[in-house]
Amino acid sequence: MKKILILLTLSIPFAQKLDPIDIAMQELRTAVETASRSSQKVFVEDFTGLN
Amino acid sequence: MLDEFPETLFTIEWHSPNYTPGNSDFDLPSEYSQRGAMYGVGGIPHTQWNGVTETVGGYPNGNWQPMYNSFMNIYNSMIGDETPYDIEINGFAGETEVGYDVTISMDADMSNSNQKVDIFVVEDDIWSYWGAVAMYHNANNVVRNWLTTEDLTISSTGENQTFSGTFDLSDAWVHDSVKIVAIVQNYSTKQIYQVTEVNINDMNPDIDDDGILNGDDNCVSVYNPGQEDEDGDLIGDVCDPCNNLVYILGNLNGDANMDGTPIIDLIDVLTLVDYLILGDVNECQEPVMNINGDNYVNVVDVILLAQMILSGNN
Repeated sequence: MKKILILLTLSIPFAQKLDPIDIAMQELRTAVETASRSSQKVFVEDFTGLN
Repeated sequence: MLDEFPETLFTIEWHSPNYTPGNSDFDLPSEYSQRGAMYGVGGIPHTQWNGVTETVGGYPNGNWQPMYNSFMNIYNSMIGDETPYDIEINGFAGETEVGYDVTISMDADMSNSNQKVDIFVVEDDIWSYWGAVAMYHNANNVVRNWLTTEDLTISSTGENQTFSGTFDLSDAWVHDSVKIVAIVQNYSTKQIYQVTEVNINDMNPDIDDDGILNGDDNCVSVYNPGQEDEDGDLIGDVCDPCNNLVYILGNLNGDANMDGTPIIDLIDVLTLVDYLILGDVNECQEPVMNINGDNYVNVVDVILLAQMILSGNN
């Protein structure tokens, strides 16, 4: 019983610490994905002639 | 501007049959007509930027300089916008024929409704006499051939689609100046979402360096010299997410015995029910869930699958 209480006591604060890490990882993931997105190039069609 | 932004600004020239000397081979009347009609081109000069912004006239006597600022503003308004599409062009250039593979890949989701891929052949730097201003100039990227317009069927992150073909090199062209241009365009809005060009001499004929040319390779981008294809669906095993010997009709979860025999059981029924409720499905499941083959997946298929299992016809 004591062991369970100790484990519970230890796990609660560590569980609290995981949240910000998860959030940070998610933000990092979003940043990396956004940075690696393809960028638009520009295409010009020139309707023209020679005379 | 072309010199300033060689990696991000691409142009092609469509020469009007009405303003092309009789001895010129620059004009492609039917293609010019089709492309011009798309944008409502009346006279020339007419420039169309990414399909949606146009400038008409504005450079008398061939003097483009006054247009620089307005063109720069248009360019700046478009460059760098996020797009889900990336285009890679590879292939092999022979003496008289070119084989190409245009691969479109997606790094974000976008509907494929009215999305098309156009592939053009252009010839760059053609020293030619410009009668309107009585001078010679380099015509840039003159369209020599409109190879194809294809439906884009991919719509999700991570998907890719390859369009392959061949075309003949005309004796009248300087082969070292020939390029392939590929664009992704929405034929409803006219918006062009991505463009890439490549000189035919710069194409890679064997992207994964496995000794199998791209056009013959059953997995173009992954090294697989043995071309293993266990289920014979022409997609190499290293590229094939679905083993069709296991994903047979009714085996939605793709499980199998140790000897590879597919297992169709209650779990597959539950998986089908999950699909009907939640809509979750992967590309391997889609072809094997329409039990009665009517192209509609519904509760009838659940009943038939359950009957199939209960009657032992699995």
